[in-house]
This record gives sequence, structure tokens and C-alpha cells, in this order.
Amino acid sequence: MSSWKEWIFTTDHKRVGILYLIGSMAAFGVAGLMAILMRIELSSIGPTITADPSNYNVWLYFHGAAMILGFQIPALTGFFANYVIPLMIGAKDVAFPRLNALSVWLFYAGIVLALLTFVIPDPPDVMWTAYPPYSTITRGNTAFYTFTVLTLGFASILGGVNFLTTVAYMRAPGVTWNKLNIFVWCTLAAFVLQLIFVPVLGTAVTLITFDKYLGTHFFDPLQGGDVLIYQNLFWFYSHPAVYVIFLPFIGVVYEIVATFSKNPVFNYKMVVYGGVFGIVAISGVVWVHHLYVSGMADWIRIGQMVTTLMISIPVGLMVIGLVGTLYKGAIDFRAPMLWALGVVFLFLIGGLTGIPLAIPSLTLHLSDTYYVVGHFHYVMAVAGTFAIFGGVYYFFPKMTGRMYHEGTARWGFWLTFIGVNIVFWTMMSIGVDGMPRRYYDYAHFPQFLRAHQLMTLGASLIGVGFALAVINWIHGAWKGEKAPDNPWGSRSLEWTTTTPPPPGNWAEVPKVAEDWNPYAYGQRR
Amino acid sequence: MPHDTPAAPAPHWETSVYPLIITAGLLVFLPLAFVFKFVYHQPFVAVLCLGVGAPVMIYGIAGWVREAIGGEHGEGLAFPAMGWFILAEAMIFVSFFASYWFMRLNAGTWPPVGSVPMPVVLPLVMTAALVLSSITIHLGEAQLERGDQAGFRRWLMLTVMLGLGFLSMSIYEWSHLFHLGFNFETNAYSTIFYTITGFHGSHVLVGLGIFVAILIPALRGRINHHFVRTGALYWHFVDLIWFFVVSQVYFW
Repeated sequence: MSSWKEWIFTTDHKRVGILYLIGSMAAFGVAGLMAILMRIELSSIGPTITADPSNYNVWLYFHGAAMILGFQIPALTGFFANYVIPLMIGAKDVAFPRLNALSVWLFYAGIVLALLTFVIPDPPDVMWTAYPPYSTITRGNTAFYTFTVLTLGFASILGGVNFLTTVAYMRAPGVTWNKLNIFVWCTLAAFVLQLIFVPVLGTAVTLITFDKYLGTHFFDPLQGGDVLIYQNLFWFYSHPAVYVIFLPFIGVVYEIVATFSKNPVFNYKMVVYGGVFGIVAISGVVWVHHLYVSGMADWIRIGQMVTTLMISIPVGLMVIGLVGTLYKGAIDFRAPMLWALGVVFLFLIGGLTGIPLAIPSLTLHLSDTYYVVGHFHYVMAVAGTFAIFGGVYYFFPKMTGRMYHEGTARWGFWLTFIGVNIVFWTMMSIGVDGMPRRYYDYAHFPQFLRAHQLMTLGASLIGVGFALAVINWIHGAWKGEKAPDNPWGSRSLEWTTTTPPPPGNWAEVPKVAEDWNPYAYGQRR
Repeated sequence: MPHDTPAAPAPHWETSVYPLIITAGLLVFLPLAFVFKFVYHQPFVAVLCLGVGAPVMIYGIAGWVREAIGGEHGEGLAFPAMGWFILAEAMIFVSFFASYWFMRLNAGTWPPVGSVPMPVVLPLVMTAALVLSSITIHLGEAQLERGDQAGFRRWLMLTVMLGLGFLSMSIYEWSHLFHLGFNFETNAYSTIFYTITGFHGSHVLVGLGIFVAILIPALRGRINHHFVRTGALYWHFVDLIWFFVVSQVYFW
């Protein structure tokens, strides 16, 4: 078979992983472009680059839907899980390689459907939330959104089934549950969440299409339906989706932080059994905090406030684990570590600004303002993306067999880091002052003009920073210096094979010593 | 890693053409056909999509089954994997039932205007057919354990027939209700009724598809025990869900 056929028909987990990376980075690029377009549009009062607000709606839709469903979730549970998990547990491949290939192609089918947004008449304009009644009466083509979600969701479910089976049954001898990498634990938890909650999202968006095109009445109050059904189903998935993103990205950060501070993970069992398990346990009972202003009984709001505040405990345990790992470590500030430390910083801001949003009395004022947008970009969007970029840098030598350029990587990091803080700090600040989200124009709020221009400036820094990273990878993959098998001196199993790993990963099943564990860096100093 | 192991075969990249073929078929078969029919009102193009997509998809699935039934990958792991898949499937039904209860418990009067009385006998017969089919597939598995392949094939065929009987009764009932003026668009009850029963019916169809994919190679004597166990597990799940369907949307 010629080599391009070996790629498109591949069932090897490493190649499937790289296909995931390419697809999700393409989604990231286009969705990022949408963000830049929105920022340019908002840089002046009145029409700037489009006189038609529907265009703005389409950008808004594509930015949200593609960033979450096309970039973050596939990059984390597709690329990282595929590339790294079999290597970390010492397996030759995943349990169902063909199913794995089906997942990645379904993901590409979803990307194709999403990109059709730009060529079809009446593209979807429903944001990524697609709330009825707007989504059932708009001229926009909501069915494309539904099918995008269904295809990507199906890919996620197949991936979940595959990886849960792989880790349960295909670990090399000696790789016990309590010696799994934190990343593996986190990703398993994310897959459990995907299996439980993705079907609910699938149902919700399917019902929208039924209502709009087949004439059913799920969300039509005149016939006994209720729009709150949609909001509940949607957020029943979409809140846990935050943890589907959070868990793998913090897992990647754990790997990087442990390696670059040469310290065992601080309080491993607390992180796994308290943090990861705790998040899975509580994640399904906090979704109503997205509906505080939708109208409901007070006792529900108070109850959900309590559970929402409670989930900061396992999340906090995981952050403490990270900081504890850094403590008295031999910290090496190379590019992957910079991005990882960036995550810790950004996630802390995002997490702390989330606490007010858990409280109904404050959310009544903050809901639908830029404060919310700033908060979730810090906590999920930017922190997650930083972890993905750091992770790609971290595994880059293993994947390509070559090194990236360190100086460019650091420049990219600092530009992006400064850019995101300019944009999202400003966003939260004018949100508290009352700037509403999703607006195409803000003629009624001229006092925010300067802030909007500042954010557009910040957005261009972010764009340059991310572009530097991608250029660095493309250049490094072809022209970089040859990388050794274990450039970072990690103890984890994925670095013991040759670089890049051959088909089947190891010539024979890897053997691990009795006292091995992936973070065996000796005693804490 | 030592490279001096002499007789090891040169490692090669594993490939399969079928995942890509199935995806291409599915993309044309479902999203494009739906969009052309219901959004752009081009029924001819929609039929064309179905006509192209369905054979491609079926070809892909058939090739996949052929590859998998003799392959060494995933041996014995399909069964636990199906358990996880069933968790996901169950959540779809949970969402439907949650929507139903939400509507029903918030409604002033139920059933809403326009509903018709539900048949009583037919759903009971359908229940009996499904329960029997769960028993027959279990007996088939037992025959297979004992090494009686012919017995297994007989029980499997009987199971398929019971499943087909269930589906025919379902279709008969739908058309009966349609004639009474109770269709998708009548009211909230009809909406949820057709969604839940239709969705369950589609699961019966998938279960039958799995059995047919087991039966065709089995007729030529090629039987993969893990496939059989896995397919049977799925079928028991479909059967179990039916109890919720029948008790909630017919008899409550």
C-alpha cells in the first residue's frame, strides 16, 4: 500500500491521533478566524466590516460550536487520548482499532458538516446553544447544527467505549490502577462523562430538528410542549462537557508539571479518588445554574447553588495537587512548562470568578453580560487551549521525532498569554459594568468603545501567538533537529519506546520494575 | 529497545478501508438526505442520497463484519464494550422519558386535546413477542455453548422472526393511529408517543441488523462467540427498555 493510503485507511492509534490533531487544529483555525472577525466588527460603533447582523450571528455560532465540539473535545479526548493512552499503559494499540478509525472519520464528517455553514444558503445562526423558540423558527438551517452534533457525538461515544475497554483490559503487566498516569485517569473520567451525557445532547438537538422540520411539539407551549425541556436537556450535557474538557486538560498539565519539576505528583490518591472521582460524582447535578434566570422555584436554585459551590472542592483538590507537585521541584521553564503554568494561572482566575456566578442573587445581574463570557473563556476556553498547546509541544518530539524551536515557542506563549489577559480581563470588567453579550452593535453603550478597541488589539496578539506555535510545529516536523527518545527525562512509559514509535509501539510487551511508577523521581526534597 | 531479535516480522501499519467507507455512506445517507428532503424540499435529490448512501454504508458494514469475524482484534472485549455502549443508549431513553414526564407533570390536563384511546391488546402481544425473543436468543446461546451450531441457527432465526413480528405489529399500530388522526403533529402526547416508540423501534431494527450480520456468516459455519454474546446483550437491553416504553406511553 502506498503511504497516503496507509494514512487514510489507518487503524493505528498514533496515526488516528494525528488525524484528530490535524482536524481539530483546522477547526481551531477557522473558529479562531471567526473570533477575530467578531472582534474587528466590534472595534467601532455601527457597522464595521459587515452591515448585516446575521453574518455576526453565523460567526458567533461557528466560533462557539467549532471551538467546543470541533476543537477542544476532539483535541483532548481524540488526539491526546489516542496518541498517548496506549503508550502510557504499555499497550500495542486500542481495544478496537477499526472502531477508532471510524471515530476519527465520523469526526471529520462532523467537521465537513460544520464547514458547510460557509457555503449553504441560510447557514445556522443559533449560537452553539440553539435555544428554542429561536432555533425552531429561524430561517437558518438548524438541521446542519443537529447533524454536526450527532456525528461528533457518535464519534465521542465510540471513542469512550473504546478507551474505557482499552484501559480496563490492555494495561501491560505491572501497570496497576494506582500507577496509572493522572492523564489516563482524567481522560477515563471524561469518557465516562461523555457516555452518560452526550446522548442527552444528541436527544436535545434532535428534538429541535423534529420540531422545526417534522412538525412535532416538544417546545411549543400552545400544544403542551415547553422550552425549558430543551434548556434542561442541553445543559444537562453541556455543563458536564466543561469537565469533559477540564479533566483531560488538567491531566495533560499534570504530566507536564511532574516532568518539568522532576517531582512525584503531590498526593496522587487525593487527586484521583478525591478530585477526579469527585468531579464525576457531582458533575451531573449542577447544570441548573445555567438556568437561574429562566424561571424556576427558589428551592431548586438554592440547591443548585450548593452543589455548584461544592464542585469547587474536587476541582480545588486537583489544583492543590498541581501546586504541591511544583513545590520544591527542580523546575525547568521550557515551552511546554510555560504553557502548563499559564494554565494554572488562567484556570485560577477563571475558577475564582466563577464563584459569584454560582450564586443566584449575583447571577441575576451578571447573566448574559460579558462577565460570563470572560469567565468561561478563562476557565475553559483559554485554559484548555493553553493545555492543548503545551501538550502538543510536550509530545512533539515523541510524535515527530524532531524538536521544535524553543525561542519561537516561548515568544508564542508570551504573546498569547498577554493577549488573553488583555481580552478576557477587560471583558469581565465591562461585563460587570453592564455590557451585554452576543450584541452585534453597542450604540447604546458608547462608554465601552475604548474597552472594545483594547480587546481587538489583544485578540490580534492572541492570533499572532497561536500562529507562531502552529508555524513552529509545521517547521519543526520537517526541519527540526532530531529528537532523542526521552528528551525531557520523564519516567512515564510513553517515553521508553523509540522516537517516533513504530507500529505496535514496542517490539515486545514492555516490562516495568516492581517499584516503577510514572512519577518515580525519587524522594521529595 | 533492542533491535537484535532475529525472526520478528517487519512491523507494518495496520489498515482497514471500511471505517472511511461507512462514514462516507452515513454522511450521504442520513444528514444530506434529510437536509435535501426537509430543508431544501428537493425529494428527488434526497432519494438519490438515500440510494447512494445506503448501499455504500451496507457494503462498508458487510466488509467490516467479514474482516472482524476472523480477526484477532478485540477478542472477548466486545462484551464489556457493549456494556458501556448500552449506558450511552440508556441515557437517550432517559432523556426522552424525562422530557415526557416534564411535559406530563406540568400539563393542566392529560392527555391533551386530540388524543385517541390507546389500544390495549396489541401492545401486550408485542410485549410477549419481545420477551419470547429474549428467551429464544438465550436458548440459542446455550446451544452454542454446547457446540450445537444447527440448534443455535434455528433459535437465532426464530429470534429474528419474532423481532420482525414485533416491528410489523408496530408499523400496523402506527398506521392505525394515523388513520384515527393521531400523528406527529397532533399534540404533545402524540409527539412524545411517536418519538419514544419510533426510537425504540429503531433499536429493534439495529438489533435485528446485528443478528442478520451474525446469521449470514453462521449459515456458512463461521460463528464468533463473542459477537453472539455481545449481540444478545444488546437485544436484552432493547427488550428491557420496552417495559418502560409500554408502561409509560401506553398504560399510564
